[in-house]
Amino acid sequence: MNRLLRGLGLGGITGSPQAFAVSLGIMALLLALPALHNGYLELTFRNILMFAAMSYGWNLLGGYTGYVSFGNVVFFGIGAYCSAVLSAHHVDSLLADVPVALVCAALFAIVVGVPILRLRGHYFGIATLGIALAAADLANNLDVLGGSGGLALKQVPQEQFSLYYYAMWAVALACMLGTFAIARSKLGYAFVAIRENEDAAQVLGVWPTRYKVTAYALGAMMTAAAGAVYAPANGFVDPSIAFAVDDNVFPIVMSILGGMGTAAGPFIGALLLAGLNEILQSQFVKIHSLFFGAIIVLVVLFLPRGIVYLIGLRGGMRRYLADRAAFRV
Amino acid sequence: MSADGVLRIENVGMRFGGLWALKGVSFEVRPGSIVGLIGPNGSGKTTLMNVISGVVKPAEGEVAYAGRTIADVPTHDVCRLGIARTFQVVKPFAGLTVRENVAVGAMYGRDGATLSTAACFDRAQALLEEVGLARVAERPASDLTIPDRKRLEVAKALALDPSLLLLDEVMAGLNASEVDEALHLLRAVNARGVTLIVVEHLMKAIMSISTSIVVLAEGKKIAEGLPAEIVASPAVVEAYLGARYAARQGRGRT
Repeated sequence: MNRLLRGLGLGGITGSPQAFAVSLGIMALLLALPALHNGYLELTFRNILMFAAMSYGWNLLGGYTGYVSFGNVVFFGIGAYCSAVLSAHHVDSLLADVPVALVCAALFAIVVGVPILRLRGHYFGIATLGIALAAADLANNLDVLGGSGGLALKQVPQEQFSLYYYAMWAVALACMLGTFAIARSKLGYAFVAIRENEDAAQVLGVWPTRYKVTAYALGAMMTAAAGAVYAPANGFVDPSIAFAVDDNVFPIVMSILGGMGTAAGPFIGALLLAGLNEILQSQFVKIHSLFFGAIIVLVVLFLPRGIVYLIGLRGGMRRYLADRAAFRV
Repeated sequence: MSADGVLRIENVGMRFGGLWALKGVSFEVRPGSIVGLIGPNGSGKTTLMNVISGVVKPAEGEVAYAGRTIADVPTHDVCRLGIARTFQVVKPFAGLTVRENVAVGAMYGRDGATLSTAACFDRAQALLEEVGLARVAERPASDLTIPDRKRLEVAKALALDPSLLLLDEVMAGLNASEVDEALHLLRAVNARGVTLIVVEHLMKAIMSISTSIVVLAEGKKIAEGLPAEIVASPAVVEAYLGARYAARQGRGRT
């Protein structure tokens, strides 16, 4: 049934199946990257995979339920500090770091999410922004977290360099497959029903607060996993690294560019945006942000459903114009 | 209160600011019946629908169904008591296909927890055939015309597998043959044992389908009875057409 729906190019809330297939293909290629023994490439793509995971984390609530968080970096910070604190207690294993980070992030999301996701509209976005700012201040002043001086983690031996690349790859893949699985389940339809009309969803039996908090917590876990892998790979965490402004904004822009509320959008967005950033920074050292901003504006204006829409488009320009006229792009 | 499937509306009052949208409204709806709820614009019909479906809590009185006071049940759980509703101002999930819209109803309705996703889509398809929307099952709901959106509202509500269905002006905007189709559909739904409360402005349609009629005016119940009794009631004529017209008609008859 679902295959039939998607075969016709409409319906289904995973987004274009072609785009998802392309994403899986690229992920398979990326698994072979360490074989090139190119440290620069490995670092660059580890960052891209990290951003992809964070973008998936944002997309689950922002893209699927339509509640925009401006503070998801908090969960990246929670993940990073979980690893750092564990390392300070001589626990240096991703097998401990990641599960602890998942639990902490989910608990934090539930505690914060239940009161503010009860509300509809813009309160949530504003509250998340406040929480992101408060978290950085808190980390700056907590001695357990090393204060503004930060925490150093155990040095990674040179021969284990690729381990963290593989770990980040696995986190990104889990986020991608997890999003796909959710979008094919009843859970995904509850999220989208809330986005499309919360009143109608409610009389159809969807408890909005419960499903919004679920989306928020699952997204928090995705983001925290990226943070938990990043910290030991980087060897050092302080508030400006754990709660960086770029890490807050980039995942949102990546989801928009790739396609919000799709299973491939965040990954494709992360690849394109990171690639674009590299090129623009090398070509236009001083004004690259200007081009960067212009490209984002153009995408929002002409492709508000992102690149995934374009990959799935059948029927060329005519179909695009018809969809645009019907606000369906 | 008992679990006999009777909907009891007892002394319900609802206030918006200083204005009583409903005041002292009481009636019962017996299982298997079709109750027509009529009244001039602003008489409180939609407000009463909102109270029965648990979307708003009454300021006074209570509504009980299947042994439960609706006000004690969270809005998202009301459908699991067997109560489903449509919205007068339709609320489709515009970004989903028509079939997906209906499937969501099946997923979280009364028996939703026991259904697989595929079973929900199958039920959605069957309902779309029943309401005449199978031809647009794959289209996004945003593409539908107004009459089709009304049909979609009905299909979504039916997907919940309700025992009591509240229909808020689902025939508005339909042409004569479409109204006949809609009446046929409602009778078929009722024949399956679903109790209906129908809010409608089309007098001919509502008089022909209802087993009893409740008339609201300015938030109060002014009449209740069989369709034939309601048509002849001076109080109803007065509410709709004014006291002078009612008096003139009363003189003409004597």
